[in-house]
Amino acid sequence: MKKLLLVSLCFLVLCVTQVFAQNRTVTGTVTAKDDGQPFPGATVKVKGTNSGTQSNTDGKFTIAVPPGGSIVITAVGYVSQTIVVGNQTNLKIALELSATALTEVQVTTALGIKHNSKELAYAASTVTPKDLTQTNVTNLANGLTGKVAGLGVFSLDNGIDPSISINLRGFRSLEGNNGALIVLDGVPVPSQTISAINPNDVADVTVLKGAGAAALYGSQASNGAILITTKRGSADGKPVVTYGNSFQFQKVAFYPKLQNGFGQYGGEPNYIDPLTGFTEQVPYENQLYGPPFDGSIVQEGAPLDSANGKVIHAVYSALPTNPIESFFNTGYTEQNDISYSQGKSAENSFFISAQNVTSTGVVPNDKNLKDAFSVRGHTTYGIFSMDYSVGYTKTNVSTYINNGKNTLGLGGGFTNADLYTTVLQWPANLNIKNYSDPSSDIGNPSNFYDAYAINPYWTVDNARDNYERDQILSQLKLKLDPTKWISASYQLSNNFGIYQDRETKQEVDFTAYGISDYFHAGNVPSGFTSGKSLGQVYDYYAFGDGTSNGYNRIEGEGIVDFHHNFIKDLRTELILGNDVYQQYRKNQTTGSSQLLIPNLYNINYIGGLISGSEASYTIRQIAYFADVQIGWKGWLNLEGSFRNEHDSRLSAAERSFSYPSAKLSFIPTDAIPALKNNNILSFMKLYGSISQVGNINVGPYNIYNTYSLAGGFPYGSLGGLTANTGAVSPTLKPELTKEIEFGAEISFFHDRLYFNYSHYSQHDKNQTVSVGTSIATGYSSQLINVGETLSYGNELTVKGDILTQQANKFGFSLEVDLSNNEGRLLSLIPGTNSLSLGNNEYAVVGLPFPYLEGTDFQRDPQGRVVVSATSGYPLQDATGIHGFGRTTPEYIASVKPTLSYKFVSLSALFEYRGGYVVYNALGSTMVFAGSSALTAEAGRQRFIYPNSVIETAPGVYTPNTSISVVNGQYGFWQGSNFSQTQSPFVTSGAFWKLRELALNFNLNKFVKESKFIKGASITFTGRNLFIWTPKSNIWTDPEFSNAGPNGTTPGVNDTNQLPGTRVYGADLKLTF
Amino acid sequence: MKKYIIIVATLFTAGISSCKKDYLSQEVNPNAPSVTTPQLTLAAALNTSANIVASDYQGQGVWAGYFTTSGNYVPNTVLNQFNLTTADLNGDWGSWYGNLTNYNLLQNIAAKDPSLANFQAIAIIMKAYGFQHLVDEYNDVPYSQAFQSATNLFPAYDKGQAIYEDLGKQLDNAIKIIQSATGAVSPGSSDIVFGGNMTGWLKFANSLKLRLAIRISSKFPSDALVTDLASTESIGYLDGNLDAEANPGYSDVSGKQNFFYSGFGVDANNNPGGNEVYYRAPAFEVNTLQSYNDPRVFSLFAPVSSDWPAVVIRGNTFGDPLAKANPLTSSIGPGLAQSSSQNSVLFSGAESLFLQAEAVVQGYLPSGSAGLSTGNTANGAVAGTAQALYEGGVVASFIASQAGGTYAPVPDDGTGNPATATQTPTTPNFVWTPPTAATSAALAQTYLQQAVPNVGWAASVPLTAIYTQKWIALTGLFPFEAWNEQRRTGIPAIPTSVDPNKVNPIPPYRVLYPTSELTTNATNLGKEGTINVFSSKIFWAK
Repeated sequence: MKKLLLVSLCFLVLCVTQVFAQNRTVTGTVTAKDDGQPFPGATVKVKGTNSGTQSNTDGKFTIAVPPGGSIVITAVGYVSQTIVVGNQTNLKIALELSATALTEVQVTTALGIKHNSKELAYAASTVTPKDLTQTNVTNLANGLTGKVAGLGVFSLDNGIDPSISINLRGFRSLEGNNGALIVLDGVPVPSQTISAINPNDVADVTVLKGAGAAALYGSQASNGAILITTKRGSADGKPVVTYGNSFQFQKVAFYPKLQNGFGQYGGEPNYIDPLTGFTEQVPYENQLYGPPFDGSIVQEGAPLDSANGKVIHAVYSALPTNPIESFFNTGYTEQNDISYSQGKSAENSFFISAQNVTSTGVVPNDKNLKDAFSVRGHTTYGIFSMDYSVGYTKTNVSTYINNGKNTLGLGGGFTNADLYTTVLQWPANLNIKNYSDPSSDIGNPSNFYDAYAINPYWTVDNARDNYERDQILSQLKLKLDPTKWISASYQLSNNFGIYQDRETKQEVDFTAYGISDYFHAGNVPSGFTSGKSLGQVYDYYAFGDGTSNGYNRIEGEGIVDFHHNFIKDLRTELILGNDVYQQYRKNQTTGSSQLLIPNLYNINYIGGLISGSEASYTIRQIAYFADVQIGWKGWLNLEGSFRNEHDSRLSAAERSFSYPSAKLSFIPTDAIPALKNNNILSFMKLYGSISQVGNINVGPYNIYNTYSLAGGFPYGSLGGLTANTGAVSPTLKPELTKEIEFGAEISFFHDRLYFNYSHYSQHDKNQTVSVGTSIATGYSSQLINVGETLSYGNELTVKGDILTQQANKFGFSLEVDLSNNEGRLLSLIPGTNSLSLGNNEYAVVGLPFPYLEGTDFQRDPQGRVVVSATSGYPLQDATGIHGFGRTTPEYIASVKPTLSYKFVSLSALFEYRGGYVVYNALGSTMVFAGSSALTAEAGRQRFIYPNSVIETAPGVYTPNTSISVVNGQYGFWQGSNFSQTQSPFVTSGAFWKLRELALNFNLNKFVKESKFIKGASITFTGRNLFIWTPKSNIWTDPEFSNAGPNGTTPGVNDTNQLPGTRVYGADLKLTF
Repeated sequence: MKKYIIIVATLFTAGISSCKKDYLSQEVNPNAPSVTTPQLTLAAALNTSANIVASDYQGQGVWAGYFTTSGNYVPNTVLNQFNLTTADLNGDWGSWYGNLTNYNLLQNIAAKDPSLANFQAIAIIMKAYGFQHLVDEYNDVPYSQAFQSATNLFPAYDKGQAIYEDLGKQLDNAIKIIQSATGAVSPGSSDIVFGGNMTGWLKFANSLKLRLAIRISSKFPSDALVTDLASTESIGYLDGNLDAEANPGYSDVSGKQNFFYSGFGVDANNNPGGNEVYYRAPAFEVNTLQSYNDPRVFSLFAPVSSDWPAVVIRGNTFGDPLAKANPLTSSIGPGLAQSSSQNSVLFSGAESLFLQAEAVVQGYLPSGSAGLSTGNTANGAVAGTAQALYEGGVVASFIASQAGGTYAPVPDDGTGNPATATQTPTTPNFVWTPPTAATSAALAQTYLQQAVPNVGWAASVPLTAIYTQKWIALTGLFPFEAWNEQRRTGIPAIPTSVDPNKVNPIPPYRVLYPTSELTTNATNLGKEGTINVFSSKIFWAK
């Protein structure tokens, strides 16, 4: 061994000496031939090596070249040039537009390997930083929305800190993860970490859509992968400083349609005029089924207190601004970015960036502060090179506590009332702003006008969720290039973070008058006869990736890459690798609902007992992989890969499994002489692949049944354990996905028209599914490998340079991305054909999944609603569950026109999603409240239920032309089955959105004379400016859903999803 | 060079592989145990059973005449209009099977070890207790093929009557196990019902046998369950001196309160529980008690707050769509929701006495025989006769429900808030002073001397009086048992819902099998045919 070391060392020294002895430095300037302007960002490489640099903003570069060496200058969309340096020291290169602009791109593929896109035998799309950040997104995932065919970005909500998940090619796993793997600089990172990445640091994003493309990443990438490469330093020896500032406004824009004709009433018998039978306005109601607004003066709430008896009055007519618009603020986001980069060449470069983002939300008091720092670089010393990056992100969020946001079990008392629900049921005649001080005489909890709700301003002031994410992403890659045909690297990474969450609720002291319940309505204060709702505090700490339940990940990956062409024209490459990782997380909670001292949120000062819990999880995996690539003259490429994994989540017998894949591409335009240099058909590639990947959907330690502490236990020293109702098994295996993919890339007219089409089909077996079983078996579910799913679809990208921008003229380009995804459950265990996924969604044999099911009215064979012959109310179908449709988009399309003139460019992105349904649970809330415009459509008069029938004899249905509902007010909307039936609130989820609009002024030419400023641009941006939905959707933006980010059940929204917003603003970018 | 790199790579890979075995072994779960002990399982399972009885049957309690829904809320169409779906009022299906799984595991573990015989017997008794609830609710349920998750994911349904008959045999078996368990480990404090006193379990098992027999006897008077009663009669029964009550150590701490109390009383922060706000007194029972001059009306129900300090008890009419708001009605009273540490009753002594009384009246057990409880002899009745047993049941009920307690206003602390913790949360607050057992018993004796039908024995038709008083005695705490008896006997005649939109004149005879069975065991469920909640009766109902 010692001898071996010695030999290696000697070898190194020799190599290094050689390199230093012989190179010399040349400088050059790259310009574009068409307009003569400096060309930044062109790649300059020494021919036959990997050593290279990039031209700076002035088009200049510096590079070390061996004597007699040549340099190759390449840039996307331009013809490559090779220049023999000779004795020249100052080169001038003018690049010409290429005939194959769109098809000869260097693409980062699995394991960070750069490939010419021509050779790829699978669908991979690249998103440039310009496209990504053209509207100054603060979350990278938002920047990807609509940019790639087949990619879906799903938002949990649009609150101050939205959770986002990225899905490629639809859903395939019934209950497991369907989210794409996120890979940052070659290191897989937890999916929610994407929000910690500064979008401005990103150099490019490659989307590997299929399992085949990502097969080398193994089970983690069964859902495709998003490869994010961050910027390294500049390469021309000069420091470059960039500064960016953007300011954006966020305003509530898409909210449910409200009625503004009726005030408060909710079924109170003593508010019915005994003579007329008409209802009267009820000053304390939370339902709006009262008499029509008539401009009179009405009382709101009880007299303020027993002492002075001050009565609050309001005009009984709708205010000009509705409560939703009045309540929600205009949020703003300010971003400041600064970066510094310097380097002699791409091999020796250095990059530092810092970002600060300050946001306030549309909900009062909501705040999100993010600071991100990163240092990255690349150092080469002879045959050794080192690449490193360290990023630190700190995020502080403060938001209100809501039903769905009350994650830590803060409970009981005052209260989990839903903030948005209270706003939604606010009477149109009452100014919500008057209640904005929750300590005022009308805003305080004892006097609040609504007997059954909490002042929403009390909630935003006093029920808070404050959390903090500290996230560190670090990576170090050491590489050895001893010869031209071999390289070896080892990469170590550690991504970790701490998440700290504190939820607090302030103590409320009710007045005796409030508790005495003036109206005898059973008001909120009367539920607190102790006089108090005690303060509460819950803390949650998690060590992991810095998000609430992500894993710390330490990974080591060794790769040896052999690339040697044994025969001329036959390219051969073999990659062998080993990958070991450990994921770990630990979390603890402590809390109390009985704080002794108001405003002292400390667990030491409580009544009762501390409630607390802890858990820790470790996952370990060892994998080996190999990848072989063979290319013949560049037009026939074959790639085979193999990966074997051993995973700790499975029992020893089931632990090892393998993934093979094979991919083939063929380029007829290069292979067939007759097709070469064709003026019409510029390029054509056909490709196909077949692969198998596994997906481990078994949580750690989830192979042996366990017992848990029974409710209430321990009582003193008496413990009690109860069997968990979900059974698991040590025989669990990974899910297996077989994917077949084929496609074609074709371009015409010197690449001015470009098509990229792919088709995929994924067949999943051995789904790991928690199958509901009769609890009479002893367990209500069994985790077993069962179920087969099929998912297939098509993706098409069309790009057209309709007007090519020559100097000072109009340019117009258009890109259209289309994708569809079909899928269905093929089989489940014999004896059942439906699997509940939760959230009213199911996987049903023969149908796409997740599939929304729920209650419906009784219907005749023609589908008309059966109503009661006496009341005219629709009858509910008690016998079963009705299927409504899939909840994931079947079709996603985007259209991206870009128009440019001189230094101004205008680009837009429209996105369409359709072919799915959404259950608007919010609708049921609003019909209960009587605030929905739907409830006033018939003017609160009696009406005949549309398209209804009456069952006159068993099985005989007669169209209903005469029986109107007995009561068109409270009776129908609340007293009938209408609001308790789900079908009225299921709508198409289709929408078109103007996702992005950016008007950019490139001011480079105006600041050119300045020696200080090198580049400047100003951009006016807008996101989600407009939405178009089908008329039936009177509820809300269908994009948001209440299921978790990696949940398999999108398509249901409720009042935890705030109304849709539009974002607009401006940004300034300066380069020094 | 190539050679070296390959060597290095190989060494490196081999180094990792060599530690692979330990490195990947993650089979021990640091977060939850995969084993339990008989003691830990027993304590938890008994407490869960008690919680099910206390919390899963409030809806049925509306139909049993014990509760009405609050006027504070939008009217409950299921309870008042009877439009049941497969998602309504059947939570006990999952609760019981989940709970019985634990008894089944315990039975299996204990059967292998003779020293655990007592655990085995308790597990069998509690399985019988739970399965009776399931049959009474659903008629046919999985029984012989239940708890076989490893081999059978689709358990077939057994006939309700067959299950009843087998439960009788299981109870006999449990009795034998206890009687022959010499030197077996005492369950001790893990037996939160009798504290390891196996005589208590024998009487509990015997009373359960009696409950099964009486239930089945109305339709099948010569069923083996009925004719076999005498064989274990000498073991004795629960009575006023011995209730089957669970208490693991309830206290006034959040999550550790008695379940009934945390729902119908106040939470650990002294604010009203959810059931207290939602379920209000029923007008029919209030009126019935008042017509009998029954002092229990003041302890079973709390005074109306808007009338305070006058003590007025007022209920809502069943199904009234315009039900009065809570300040105008009574909540469940301090005689039922007594304290956060009160016992959870699985089987009350009063119920056992009424069952014995019926058995004597029907001739299933000989009057005055040795195994029967003494009952009440203060009024001159002979021990063990129907009258003594009936009167014993009334006395036990008076004592259990704290008849004769008094209400007083709460002193103010000077800021408008109460100076002391209060007994029940109704506004305005009051202090409840419970009576001594002797006071309650004396009130009962006076009460029983009234020549009022269904009160005084001499003035009554025996069975009608037994059924009526049993209904009063089961108030609040045993809504399911009362509903069973209502469906068996129809006594008392509880007025039906006045909701004009009710879908059937009278409440359902049963509830539907839960949606989960529909989706997970459809084939077997299908063999039960179409269930009509208004006509598909439990096998024992006439």
